[in-house]
Amino acid sequence: MSLLLYYFLAFSAVNIFMCWTIYLPYRVGQLHFLTVACMAITAYFGGFAAREWDWPFALVLIVGIGIGAFVAFIPSLAIGKAPCFSVVIVGLTHIFIVKTVIENWDLVGGTVGFFGIPPVEYLLPITYLLLIIVGFFIYRIEHSRLGRAASVVFVDKDVATTLGVNIKSLGMFYQIIAGAIGGMAGVLYAFLIGSLFPEFFTFHVIGALMCMLFVGGHTTMWGVVISAPILGGLPLLLPSTVASWRQVIYGVLLILIILLRPEGLITRRMLSSLKRKNKW
Amino acid sequence: MEIFIAQLLNGLSLGSIYVLLVTGFNLMVLVARIVQFAYPHFVVLSIYACWEVLQLTNNMFLAVLSCIAVSVILNVLSEPIFRRLTNRQDVDINASFVVSMAIALVITDIMSHSINHGFPIAFPTSWIGGNLVRFGLITLSKGQIYALVGGIIAVLIFFYLLYQTKQGRVFRAMAENRYAARLIGIPIVKASIFSYVIAGLLGGFIAILFSILLGSASPWLGEFIALKVIAVSIVAGLGNLKGGLVCGLLLGVVEAMAMGYISGSWSNAIAFIIMLLIILIKPQGLFGVKI
Repeated sequence: MSLLLYYFLAFSAVNIFMCWTIYLPYRVGQLHFLTVACMAITAYFGGFAAREWDWPFALVLIVGIGIGAFVAFIPSLAIGKAPCFSVVIVGLTHIFIVKTVIENWDLVGGTVGFFGIPPVEYLLPITYLLLIIVGFFIYRIEHSRLGRAASVVFVDKDVATTLGVNIKSLGMFYQIIAGAIGGMAGVLYAFLIGSLFPEFFTFHVIGALMCMLFVGGHTTMWGVVISAPILGGLPLLLPSTVASWRQVIYGVLLILIILLRPEGLITRRMLSSLKRKNKW
Repeated sequence: MEIFIAQLLNGLSLGSIYVLLVTGFNLMVLVARIVQFAYPHFVVLSIYACWEVLQLTNNMFLAVLSCIAVSVILNVLSEPIFRRLTNRQDVDINASFVVSMAIALVITDIMSHSINHGFPIAFPTSWIGGNLVRFGLITLSKGQIYALVGGIIAVLIFFYLLYQTKQGRVFRAMAENRYAARLIGIPIVKASIFSYVIAGLLGGFIAILFSILLGSASPWLGEFIALKVIAVSIVAGLGNLKGGLVCGLLLGVVEAMAMGYISGSWSNAIAFIIMLLIILIKPQGLFGVKI
């Protein structure tokens, strides 16, 4: 497999995971960027545990998922039903604090970066297997009472409360699940790429993920499955002079999609009509 | 003690700029009903415009003028985009945040590619000015004094406009209830555009104060300030002008104190940790949300 294809597949998988971590809490109207901080923490933890303590990949992955869930759980106690922008700021401040700690911590390489994460055999197939498992899990949530409750909360919180939905518990649930998936994505990213840099976990990542989510469609989990490989893979395929402007491309695409098609390219309504037509 | 006083003065100067930024940001939250994440990015782009004009002409008056003009133009140009969003029934205030994030991405990337080859810019000493007062360890620079005095004057003018003029009443009426304001004959589109002009003027003024106080700017400064401005706004209570005034000043002081006693990059982290804790304890803000 060529290096370009490897990176394309690796980044696509990680981007889909990360888009889902933003998609899930957005089901209850919260932009939860804390998952990027979860990703950073578990990526560094995973790399460090594998390189310094010789932990096997499976153990690192399980602990990483736990760490991600825990990091999301603590703030979720306070922001389970907080207004969207409070959740945004909690996420962004976490990213800034985590980045500052990493940059000032020589043990994990500081600003220079962290290298020498041991490779894992068949990691790419394992990653895609995990992607299918997580996708199935999210699909099940979507088609359960939790998914329907989230849809009501997104449309009208008062109606949801009247219908007996516990908004705080639901918000906490989605934030913790998102944190766990973010933790998993962090470990996978560390092992797939093999090196880590604190500059990666910044506002630009959020911009790219938001673009993938909103262009693909934020009302269904399937939108990012298409948009993440296309938009994430775009910089790898374009000439470097054009690819270096990818943030401008993401920004313009995001503005256009919100103005022209606020629900994104793939919408819930579109999927329903497809199902009806094909009698799925 | 001298370090404490020096850092307190430094904090008040920085805080007065934060107050202006939060005030401009909150004005748009209240009147235009948008969360303008890119507002600090417009300020930074105005700083860049000021620097460019200064490089080309070496004329301070033209630099000041261009700074304010760019800020007003950018804010007014963004108005149709946000109006289109706020007029739609299927789009909420979150969408304005997403769009402004996208604008911020575009601005940052353009600055990091096109202006000064992406390198940070530095203003000449003639612009920044030297130290004006020195006693003991306390040194006051021209930038600090300008920021403090300019900040106070700008806030006073802004609050006078908001609470003592007819246009201010229009803004407050729109902030209370947009539809009721329309019913009693307030031209809400015109007033909304005017709020963008005011925010632009304020942004231009902030850009000048920032350039004098900091003496430099980088493409990523916008993100950094945007994070602080939104955090202060949330800590104070989204759209709460008086809360923003108190919290903006406090942020400046806390940051300056941390800078005085703790090493470099940790000082910002301390300010963010404090704000994070406040948001976790009171997600609705200390002074209450006004929208």
